Amino acid sequence: MNSTQIKSEVATPSLAVRIGKMRLANPLMTASGTCGYANEYGDFADLTQFGAFVTKAISKTPRKGNESYRIVETRAGMLNAIGLANIGLEAFLRDKLPLLEKMHVPVIVNVPGWSIEDYVDVAAELDQQAIVQGIELNVSCPNVKNGMSFGTDPVRLHELVAAVKKRVQRCELIVKLSPNVSDVAVTARAAVEAGATCLSLVNTFTAMAVDIEKQRPVLANGTGGLSGPAIKPIAVFMTHRVYTEVAKKHGIPIIGMGGIQTWQDAVEFLLAGATGLAVGTALFIDPNIPNQIAAGLRAYLGRKNLVDINQLIGALQPAQPAA
Amino acid sequence: MAGLINERVKPVGDSPRGTYDARVVQNVRICTDHYRLTLGLGRFPASTPGQFVQIECRGAEGGGSGGGGGNSEFRIQNSELATEYRAIEWGPGLSRPALHDPDFLKATAYLRRPFSIAARRENGGAVEIDIIHRVVGRGTHWMETLERGQEVSVIGPLGKGFRIPEQLELALLVGGGVGIPPMIYLAEAVHRAGKRAVAFVGAQRKDLVPLTISPCSPAASGEGEPVLNATEFADYGFPTVVSTDDGSMGTKGFVTGALRKFIEKLKSNSEFRIQNSELAGVVVYCCGPTPMMKATAKVCAELGVVCQVSLEQPMACGMGTCQSCVVKWRGLDAERLAEGEWKYKLTCTDGPVFDSRELAW
Repeated sequence: MNSTQIKSEVATPSLAVRIGKMRLANPLMTASGTCGYANEYGDFADLTQFGAFVTKAISKTPRKGNESYRIVETRAGMLNAIGLANIGLEAFLRDKLPLLEKMHVPVIVNVPGWSIEDYVDVAAELDQQAIVQGIELNVSCPNVKNGMSFGTDPVRLHELVAAVKKRVQRCELIVKLSPNVSDVAVTARAAVEAGATCLSLVNTFTAMAVDIEKQRPVLANGTGGLSGPAIKPIAVFMTHRVYTEVAKKHGIPIIGMGGIQTWQDAVEFLLAGATGLAVGTALFIDPNIPNQIAAGLRAYLGRKNLVDINQLIGALQPAQPAA
Repeated sequence: MAGLINERVKPVGDSPRGTYDARVVQNVRICTDHYRLTLGLGRFPASTPGQFVQIECRGAEGGGSGGGGGNSEFRIQNSELATEYRAIEWGPGLSRPALHDPDFLKATAYLRRPFSIAARRENGGAVEIDIIHRVVGRGTHWMETLERGQEVSVIGPLGKGFRIPEQLELALLVGGGVGIPPMIYLAEAVHRAGKRAVAFVGAQRKDLVPLTISPCSPAASGEGEPVLNATEFADYGFPTVVSTDDGSMGTKGFVTGALRKFIEKLKSNSEFRIQNSELAGVVVYCCGPTPMMKATAKVCAELGVVCQVSLEQPMACGMGTCQSCVVKWRGLDAERLAEGEWKYKLTCTDGPVFDSRELAW
């Protein structure tokens, strides 16, 4: 056997990553709120090939959500103000967990809250469910006490994460950071110091679209969260900032997201420091996109003579002037 | 249930719906603003009238670079009137929007756009579906430019379609504007079931009626209404009653006026029995702008006729995940919620077709 043959017989590059104790066959996962509770996309994508599945936000009690209109398309993206409509924890545990079990991929449940107790109660219950491997705190909801979100105030965020951490022993504790802050590293540090074992970023950017004929906001809620390719460059920057300022030195993995739609987008996030990659709004256009991205990543690794995707994580080289 | 679940996590293939690459067979302008796009698919799951497809309105090179603006387009295209009422992009003009913004032409639609299926033909395993759409935004502007042979990504068939009860004898197909297309598909199904139908179509004016009208050969109906011969319905032996807002075709006025007169006549000639204060054997099927559907539902409630409506709501996914296309629902019969109570249902997966009595609108 000559060296050429050996080279051609090198195993396909490994896409497996670890997020704490979670082992993912590849970094691709769903972003909360864009993929339903479980198997809604079952007819359109092979969900068993996803690296992990992140559910819609599950609150303590069912929520109807906001009035219509809840979405509007904008340039290269969309705004949403769904209002965390969901069936509530009880129905989720009863009706959806058995479906999630059949996917055979690590399950992460997104948890919103309007008080510390809301988060703690739901997270503690989920930590008891063997199928659930990760709990992702959605800290961007407005706090009922003062209308401020936990995610924009490092002191409040620390208090919240520490309180949840006391009740979550088994699951990875992921804090989904809000981008609506002047320096995302500040809230990232607060979350990690309080016990977060993983950070996911970014959530949507607070934004508004105006109906110029009615001279009112298009969305019934007034404002909404901007997602899609429009936010990708900001999300890449924020991922990199959190990686270099906080995550790398603490050994905390990052789930990067924000406008990921192609394997090229995914490579950018990996180089910037993301270990996991969540696809959100793009799922509305094609639920199978995560699998297409995984295939693209494999080809990219092969072309770069890399055998393991972990070689890409945080491997961004310093900027330099054009040659 | 376990079998069903396993099947649903399998890749696209044997499922009742999926993502398909279609080829443009034909793209014909049928009136001032409307096009009939015929798509050929190697295979496409069984579908029913009232179901819809999500079309990716950009070419492979489109990427995610464009998109923008209004809400008017990414509801299931049922309604030219609604588009104008809610015109976000180009104001309340009555004719085709002037595409004066050069950026507009460059921008691509980001999200898919939902369209009712207007017709379906089988051809030895292969399938052709017709989409009749009005050019109202970026997505439909792109569709207007499609040429034979171009590839189009289609997700479908989506949603729950119209129901044809066994006891149906006479279907009244009420379509307004781009709510007319699903009625053409439904006419075929009613015909195949061996039942009768009368089509009631409404538009703002003559040149916005997306049907092939032969004014020289009005179908004989004897129903007492001015009836026109619209090939799309006449092919199945069904007469068509046209109403236009300005009277430039058919009767001047709203389609609900013609419908009311017709049902009143039906009741007076006692062809159909009244059972539980309902006109047995008659069903109104309605699709169009929300105000028109509400008005139709009101007429039906007053006159005791069952009415199925196909709703339009802005939606991103069409697959039950984005939770944007909500409608207030109060249930019917055994499922009826307590007085004053309602919950949200999704237009995309719980509908788009609902019994009008189920809705709290």
